[in-house]
Amino acid sequence: MSAPTSSLREPLVLGHKTYHDITEDICSPTESTPNAAWVAAFILSVTLLGLYAFCLVVTVWFGIGTWDLNRTVGWGWDITNFVWWVGIGHAGTLISAILLLFRQKWRTGVNRAAEAMTIFAVVCAGQFPLIHMGRQWLAFFIFPYPNTRGPLWVNFNSPLLWDVFAISTYLTVSLLFWYLGLVPDFATVRDRSKGLRRKIYNILCFGWTGAAKHWSRWESMALVLAGLSTPLVLSVHTIVSFDFATSVIPGWHTTIFPPYFVAGAIFSGFAMVLTLMLIARKVLNLEQYITITHIESMNKVILLTGSIVGVAYLTELFVAWYSGYVYEQFAFFNRALGPYYWSYFGMMACNVISPQLFWKKSWRRNITLTFFMSIFINIGMWFERFVIIATTLARDYLPSSWSYYIPTWVEIGIFVGTIGLFFTLFLVFTRVAPVIAIAEIKHILKSSGDQYSDHPDYQDGPVKSDKVLQNQPS
Amino acid sequence: MADTLVHADSHAHGHHEVDPGPLRYTMGGATRMTLLGGIVLGVICLVLSFFMDETAHHTRFWSNWLHNSVFFLGISFMSLFLVAAKVLFYSGWHTVFKRVFEAYAQFLPVAIILMAVIVVGVFTGATHIYHWSDAAALETDDILRAKSAFLNPIWYLAGAIVLPAIWHFVFGIKLRKLSIQEDEQGTADFDQHKSMRKTAGMFVPIAAFSSAFVVWLLIMSVDAHWYSTLFAWYATASWLVSAIGLTIILLVFLKALGYFGQVTVEHLHDLGKYLFAFSIFWSYLWFSQFMLIWYGNVGEETVYFQTRMDHYPVGFWANLAINFVAPFIILMANTTKRKLGVLTFVAMLVVFGHWLDFFQMLKPGIFETAMHAEHDAAGHGDEHAGDLHMDDAGHAVAGASHDAAGHGDDHAGEDHSTGHHDPNESVHAVHGKSGEHGAKSYAGFYFPGLIEVGTFLGFLSLFFLISLGALSRANLVPVNDPYLEESLHHHVV
Repeated sequence: MSAPTSSLREPLVLGHKTYHDITEDICSPTESTPNAAWVAAFILSVTLLGLYAFCLVVTVWFGIGTWDLNRTVGWGWDITNFVWWVGIGHAGTLISAILLLFRQKWRTGVNRAAEAMTIFAVVCAGQFPLIHMGRQWLAFFIFPYPNTRGPLWVNFNSPLLWDVFAISTYLTVSLLFWYLGLVPDFATVRDRSKGLRRKIYNILCFGWTGAAKHWSRWESMALVLAGLSTPLVLSVHTIVSFDFATSVIPGWHTTIFPPYFVAGAIFSGFAMVLTLMLIARKVLNLEQYITITHIESMNKVILLTGSIVGVAYLTELFVAWYSGYVYEQFAFFNRALGPYYWSYFGMMACNVISPQLFWKKSWRRNITLTFFMSIFINIGMWFERFVIIATTLARDYLPSSWSYYIPTWVEIGIFVGTIGLFFTLFLVFTRVAPVIAIAEIKHILKSSGDQYSDHPDYQDGPVKSDKVLQNQPS
Repeated sequence: MADTLVHADSHAHGHHEVDPGPLRYTMGGATRMTLLGGIVLGVICLVLSFFMDETAHHTRFWSNWLHNSVFFLGISFMSLFLVAAKVLFYSGWHTVFKRVFEAYAQFLPVAIILMAVIVVGVFTGATHIYHWSDAAALETDDILRAKSAFLNPIWYLAGAIVLPAIWHFVFGIKLRKLSIQEDEQGTADFDQHKSMRKTAGMFVPIAAFSSAFVVWLLIMSVDAHWYSTLFAWYATASWLVSAIGLTIILLVFLKALGYFGQVTVEHLHDLGKYLFAFSIFWSYLWFSQFMLIWYGNVGEETVYFQTRMDHYPVGFWANLAINFVAPFIILMANTTKRKLGVLTFVAMLVVFGHWLDFFQMLKPGIFETAMHAEHDAAGHGDEHAGDLHMDDAGHAVAGASHDAAGHGDDHAGEDHSTGHHDPNESVHAVHGKSGEHGAKSYAGFYFPGLIEVGTFLGFLSLFFLISLGALSRANLVPVNDPYLEESLHHHVV
């Protein structure tokens, strides 16, 4: 028996699943030979990864000159991509930590994949600060430690250094949180396997036996990590926003940046989760675990965060006028109507206007529309970072230094290549680990399985009678 | 993870017998007398502040009135926002006490009337609390003129009256009506609830946009030269924490009277989490705003914090100590959130702390404007002539350090020649370091005095009188709410 659930809440596990069904459904993708779709996607991803490696070699061999950065625009696609990927890497922790605190049961359907996606996105993001240094072999200079380089220390006053700490902390905690969740599920996979596979999964799950003591420690640890990750959801993109906002460049130096960057990051993160999950639920037959209700909930988060971002855009515009500060006014005039006007309008259309479609319930529950929207939003969020970076930099204080920046094929190749890296990692993940948290889905089955639901649309199930027997009101 | 804990525990606690207490609240004589007494105290303090004021234009009275009206306007607005947001986000746990949020939201029309007094003052020129409404300043100040398309009485009317009236009369009344109707006619189809969801869906985005305008006009425009894009969210977060704090206080009070037996320590624990989390959220916004301005070190922006740190240091640091450090440390542990005494103490502390936060937002700018008005009236108005460069970043900061060195008047002349009103000039003068204001002390501006605290208690009593009245006009527990069962069985650990 579990706590009463309002009949307005839609069930989150469909198909009258038993605990055994859940184990079967979620483990089976890791136990069979990959299908043709997976193989095709993997080949494509690895090809893009190859392109990434190639462009990286070109950059290292010939130097940053292979990019079209110039004296005025010192950050181009490199940092745009960095911020874009870091932003995408926000949904996982939001889902696993903050939605856990808010008791959102629907998060159990998507948290595992979202956390994996977070880690892969942060891995992609982490490449760019290293690549953009030009002399990657000196990258270890960013770590502060007593050294033989004389007085050469990192600049503790620089938000770029804070980024190093913020992102490495975030990666570590996200990785721990993700792995912790995987431990009991790896044990489930182990128990179903034989031979070498069994040995490998036994190591991966640290010899988990499912003892009460294990569960008790596991739960305590999960809460501790949730507590640690909650501030991290805010801190990472806050510090990324500091990269810009601590400067005194008009259009960058504005106090709304920290919370607005965080909202934008969650926005793009959820869009990427949707892109991945809409494909994964189909390919891996998980439609009964990642239901339309899950998709609708994520679309609501997108509508909310997209609107917060919209309020922030308009606040910036208004306050630029209100400041009475001509340079601030010019910065925003230039964003909207300057040489990069197309990226500004792309950003507005994709990030602010298009999510408003989700006010309509039937559209929130439309899978095709959601899929295209998720792509749109990520294009829009890429534009947002490009608008902030390139548009602002291209108009220097000195009009004689004004320039226009167009990327070279190397920069484009690196960006497309990281998408290859991302998908390669994700595809491997779907083969080796349960993409849905088995243990957590089982936890919500009794309150959110359709056979236990009071929701009027789910009243025809054969197990309904069991529910009446088991769930007497107290 | 935590879901398991919830489920495991609900077995054990499923059969609690609680005495729910009466379904309707009736205000007792003692409560009514106490609140009326509080209002009388407030009126006395207002009268005192009107006549005992040392500024020329009764600024102490006007600023106290504005401070408290804005504070409670925002609290009732955030309560309405919580009502709407909770419906929209399928929130269940709070249902058993959601009538408290509704009751707080019923204060909105009263808050509008309170704000109307300020609007009349702005239109008639009786107040000297807004720099931009000062005709003499407008003539010479290019920055104010550049902003006058927005900072003017008509827009002020919109921000103080029209937008709050839309919140209440278009959305607030409807949400309340549907909620009460659900008690009487609610069925398992939950028609009223679904209708509330539509209204709430319209209200939330409108509230998100319009509240920023209200904050800019009512609060940020006090420091009319200064601006910060984050300010609206910062002030809104301050209101939100106050609304949650007052909710805890009222629930504990009503429980002590025997009402709300269904509201258990589990609900208060979660409210404690809200208080904890949103206090940290407020601190996050405080830090974001402060840190970026400090780091950027642009004079026009830093002047805001410079003034507060130099001349309002007690309030400045108390604000952080009360609103961040105290709830963070005290409410960190689960046990403290479940001890009603501790929780109520923190709630009271934080409500006072956020009232102080609004004091810090409003008084320095108002005081400066009042001093300028006095300065002008004393015949120094012509000195202010000259063109103004708003990008002239160094001046405000330079001015502040000059002042600290203690030569008030001669450098004031040089500031005026470039058109900058040195924001610290009058403040310093008051501190007795220099200038014609001498060592005169202006009570009620640097830190809340007894009169300010009395005024606050008066407004607080009015707020409770109105909202308890609203509470008594409906069932305490929404008996047909679709989430009531969930809420009655709510368990945290």
